Amino acid sequence: MIESKANRKFKEAAFYNSQNDGGYFLLPFKFHRLNGEKEILVNEVGDYLILPTGTTATIVNRQISKENNSELYGDLIANFFISEEAIHPLIDVLATRYRTKKHFLNYFTGLHIFVISLRCEHTCFYCQVSRVTENRDQYDMSIQNIDRGIEIMFKSPNPHVTMEFQGGEALLAFDNIKYAVEKSEKIAGEIGKQITFVICTNLALVNEEILYYCKEHKILISTSLDGPQSIHDSNRHKPHASSYALAIKGIKLSREILGEDQVSALMTTTTLSLEHPIEIVDEYYNMGFPGIFLRNISPYGFALRTEKSKYSTDKFIEFYKKALGRILEYNFQGHYFTEDLARIYLTKILTPFNTGFVDMQSPAGLINGVIVFNYDGGVYATDESRMLAEQKDFTFKLGTLNDEYKDLFFGAKAQEIAQVWSNEALAGCSECAFQAYCGADPVHHHATQGDMYGYRPTSAFCQKNMEIIRYLIELMESEPKIKKIFESWISKK
Amino acid sequence: MNLKTKGVAKYINEPLVGRITRDVSSTGENSFLICEEIPADINTNSFEAILTSKDTSHLVENKPAVYAVPNFDHLSEGDIVAINEDGNINTLYRVNSFHNVLLATERCNSNCLMCSQPPKDRNDIPRLYSINQKLISLIPKDCIELGISGGEPTLMGEMFFQTLENLKEQLPETEIHVLTNGRSFAWQSMAERLAKIDYRRLMLGVPVYSDYYQVHDYIVQARDAFNQTILGLHNLARYNQRIEIRVVLHKQSIPRLTKLAKYIFKNLPFVEHVAFMGLEFIGYTPHNIEKLWIDPHDYIEELGEAVEFLSGQGIHVSIYNSQLCVLPENLWQYCRKSISDWKNEYLPECQNCLKLNDCGGLFRWNLNKHSDYIKPFTAIEM
Amino acid sequence: MAHINCIKDGEIIVFANTLLFSKDALFKCLYWYGDKFHTSVSFADVDNYCVKIKPLSTAAINSEDLELYQQKLERDLIDFQLRDVVTKETQNIRDLIIAKAFSNGEFDEDPPGDVSDPVGFNPSL
Repeated sequence: MIESKANRKFKEAAFYNSQNDGGYFLLPFKFHRLNGEKEILVNEVGDYLILPTGTTATIVNRQISKENNSELYGDLIANFFISEEAIHPLIDVLATRYRTKKHFLNYFTGLHIFVISLRCEHTCFYCQVSRVTENRDQYDMSIQNIDRGIEIMFKSPNPHVTMEFQGGEALLAFDNIKYAVEKSEKIAGEIGKQITFVICTNLALVNEEILYYCKEHKILISTSLDGPQSIHDSNRHKPHASSYALAIKGIKLSREILGEDQVSALMTTTTLSLEHPIEIVDEYYNMGFPGIFLRNISPYGFALRTEKSKYSTDKFIEFYKKALGRILEYNFQGHYFTEDLARIYLTKILTPFNTGFVDMQSPAGLINGVIVFNYDGGVYATDESRMLAEQKDFTFKLGTLNDEYKDLFFGAKAQEIAQVWSNEALAGCSECAFQAYCGADPVHHHATQGDMYGYRPTSAFCQKNMEIIRYLIELMESEPKIKKIFESWISKK
Repeated sequence: MNLKTKGVAKYINEPLVGRITRDVSSTGENSFLICEEIPADINTNSFEAILTSKDTSHLVENKPAVYAVPNFDHLSEGDIVAINEDGNINTLYRVNSFHNVLLATERCNSNCLMCSQPPKDRNDIPRLYSINQKLISLIPKDCIELGISGGEPTLMGEMFFQTLENLKEQLPETEIHVLTNGRSFAWQSMAERLAKIDYRRLMLGVPVYSDYYQVHDYIVQARDAFNQTILGLHNLARYNQRIEIRVVLHKQSIPRLTKLAKYIFKNLPFVEHVAFMGLEFIGYTPHNIEKLWIDPHDYIEELGEAVEFLSGQGIHVSIYNSQLCVLPENLWQYCRKSISDWKNEYLPECQNCLKLNDCGGLFRWNLNKHSDYIKPFTAIEM
Repeated sequence: MAHINCIKDGEIIVFANTLLFSKDALFKCLYWYGDKFHTSVSFADVDNYCVKIKPLSTAAINSEDLELYQQKLERDLIDFQLRDVVTKETQNIRDLIIAKAFSNGEFDEDPPGDVSDPVGFNPSL
C-alpha cells in the first residue's frame, strides 16, 4: 500500500487543530485573588498560572479563543486547565501526576515515635509534658512496652521505617534506647527492612561514649536551638546551668564524632522569639546549619496556658516574613541557606512531587505517616496528641500497645479521624486554590476549636498557611532572583 | 569524508556485509579484500569479496567483486561495509569513529519540517534488517557506543525488538542510543515488549518540541503525535526505561521553549537527559527555511532560561550543534562537541580562534547557513 | 421590582438572581462571613435570593467598614459562583482522575489517533 507523494506535502499549523466548534471543556482547577491585579489558578495536581484578575471568569464563560488569545489558550491546554475533548487525551498522565502527589500514602506509617522517658532535667516553660523526677518506674517506657512497640513498628507495610526516641529527655533512658536500637537492628536485618534511628535530645547529657555508640549504630541527633543564648536560655530553662552553652557544646561534639549532616536542630518560636527574627536566623547561620525551620509554637495545653507563649498568628507571620527576609539576604550574597517551612510549601508549589512532612498533608500524616508510642504504653496519632493526653484529653488516643495492629491503625478511632483528615472534603478547603499546597490538621483544630473538623474562618492553621503560601508566591513572582533561590532550595541536585 | 562509493558489481546477487582488509595474508571471515592487483597465489577462499579500482579482467570466477571503484581512501582496516548488486559500497561501521549508527529504516510516521533525513515511503525494513543482523555480528566487541536511527525505528515492529535482543547478546558492553519519536510506545504492548528485554545500556532519545500539542504536531507534521509521544514516554517510564528528550531549536519551537522546560520537569521528571540542538541545514530544512530560521544569537535568552531551569532541578542538560562564540559564557558548560566527525567543519575565520579545540563547530551543511554572530576569540579579548 | 443592594440599619443586604447564582455558591460564600457576621439567606421573590449579613457585636466592625464588606460580599458571591460552576462541570472528570490515580493502569485509555506511516504499521500486532 504505497501512497502517493502528496501525503508528504507540508501543511499549515491550523491543520493540526483538534478543537471542535471553538469550544472547550473545563478541567478541575481552583482560583484565588492574589491582589487587585492578579489571580492565581491552580490545577488538580498543583500546577499554577498567574493571570490578570477576571481571567477565570473569561475562561469559565468560554470567552477564550484559540485565535484571539493564542498564547493563553496554549498555556491552558498545556497545563491541564482546559481540554478540547470531554476526556482529555492525556488524562492518564494527569492521573499519574495525581498519584505522584499522593505518593506518601503508598507505604503507610514510616515514623514511629517512642517516648522513651517523660523525665527531663530541663524545665522549659513551653513544655507540655516533661517531669523533673527520678521515678524511672513511672515515667520510663518499660522493656515490655518497648518490645511491643518494636513488634508493631515492624508490622508497618513501609519498607523503610524511622524509629525516633523522644522525651522528656531521651538520653535519661539511654540504656533503654540501646536495648531498642539493638533489638530493632537485628529484626530489620532479618526481615529486610531499612531502619533509621533518631534521638531527640537537648544534648545536655551527651558525652563521647553516647556519641560513639550513635556513630556505630548510625543514629541521627535532633536537638533544640531556639536562637542566641539570651533567647534560648530564657525559653529553655535548666536549673543551675545554661541550656544554650550545653546545646552548643553538644552540637559541636556531635558534629565532630558523627559528622556535620548527622546533627539537626529545631527551634520553637515564643513571644520572646517574635522580637528577634534576625538574631535567631543569624544564630543558625553562624552555627553552620544549612537552614532553619521557623516553627510556631504548638497551640496545645500547657503551652497556651502561659501568657509567655500566647501570641496571635499575625505576630508569627510578621516574624516569619522578617526572618525569611534575612535568610534571603544571605542567599543574595551567594550563600546557600534555606528556610524549611518554605521548602515544604515550595516543593508542593513548584515540583511534581510532595514532601514527607506529616503536618502538611492531605490525607493528614497522622497514622498514615506517624504514630506515637507513649512512655506508659498509650498509642497516639501524633506527638501533639500525647501532649493533649497530659491535659487529660484522650481524643487522639488510638489504644495501647497491648492492642492489635489492625485495631490501632484501622479501628473506630482511626476511622473517626479519617472523616476529617482530607482537606479535599472540608468546608472552606474544598474549593480553596491552595488546597494542593496545604494539608489537614484535625489535632490542631480539635485543640484550638474543640472540633477536629475545624472552622476555617477562625482557624490559625488556615490563616498561617494561606498567608505564607500567598507571600511565597508573591515574592517569587515579583522577583526573578527570588524564584531562582527558591528553585535552588527545592532542587534534588 | 565520504560514506559511500560506487563501482561495478560482479557475482553479487544480494547485499553482502564484510570487514575491509588490505592484507592479503589476512584470513578473517567475512573479509572484503581491497587490492590493486590480485596476487597470483591468493587464496581467494580467505575473502568473501574483492574490491578493486582495476577493471574486470582481474576478477576471479564466481568470487563477488566490485571493480572500477574510484578510490578507497575513506576506508580503514576493519571498517564494515555493505556491497550491493548495483555496485554501491556503503560504509556501515567505522572502527575509528565514536559515532556509528545503524540505519533501521527510512520509513517514518512523522514528517518533521526540519527533518535532516527525509523519509521514504517504501518498505526497506526486511532488507535493512538482514544487513544489520550481519553487521551486528561483525562489530568489534569493544565498541563503546552505537546509535540506531531512521526514519522511525519502531516501525520495524517485532524486528526492532529482535535487533535490540541481538545487540544485547552480541555487544553487551556497548551503549545503545535509539532515536525514536516515541509515538509507538503510547501502545502499552510496545513498551511492555521493550521492557522485557531488560536492557540497561539502552537509551531512547525522543523529541518533544513544545508543551502545546498543536505546535508540536505542526512541527512534526503529524496529528496526535504530541499526545502519543507524551503517553509513550509515560509508558516507558512505567517500565523504568532510560529516556533522553531532544529539542531542536528553531522559529517554531523557541517561543514556548521555557514553558517546554517547565513542562518536562512537571510532566516528565523521570528523564535522564535533555538535549537542546541547533538546526541542521540539510534535508527538508532548506525547503522550509522561512518557517524555521532564527539566528541562534536571538534565542540565547530563552535557551539560557530553559537550560538553567532544568539543570537547576537536577536534570542533566546538553546543548548540541552550537558554537561557543554565539552563546554567553555561562552556557558553555552545557555545550558538547556532538557533531559526528565526518560531518564536522569550521568556518575559515574559525581557524584563528583560540577556543577552536573546545568548540563543537558546525555541520558541514551549515557552512552556508549559520549565526551572523560567529566571531573568533582572539588573544586581545581574552 | 428592582432589588438594590444596600446597607440598612447596620445590615448588609445583597440580592442574587436564582438563575445566575446557585444555592451552593451562596452558602459556600457565606461560610467565610460566619466569624464576624450573622448571616441569612431567604427568597426576596421567586427569582431572587436575599442575602443578609449583620456584624456580630463582638466583631468590632464600624459603619465605614460596612461598605467595604458589602463590596467584598458582592465580589465573593461572583467568585464562589464561578468556583461552583467549575466544581460542578468538572466533578466527573475529577472523579475519573482520582479513580485512575489509585488504580494500577487497568483503566488506561486507548491511545489517540493513528500512528502508521504511509507504508503501513500497526503497533497492536
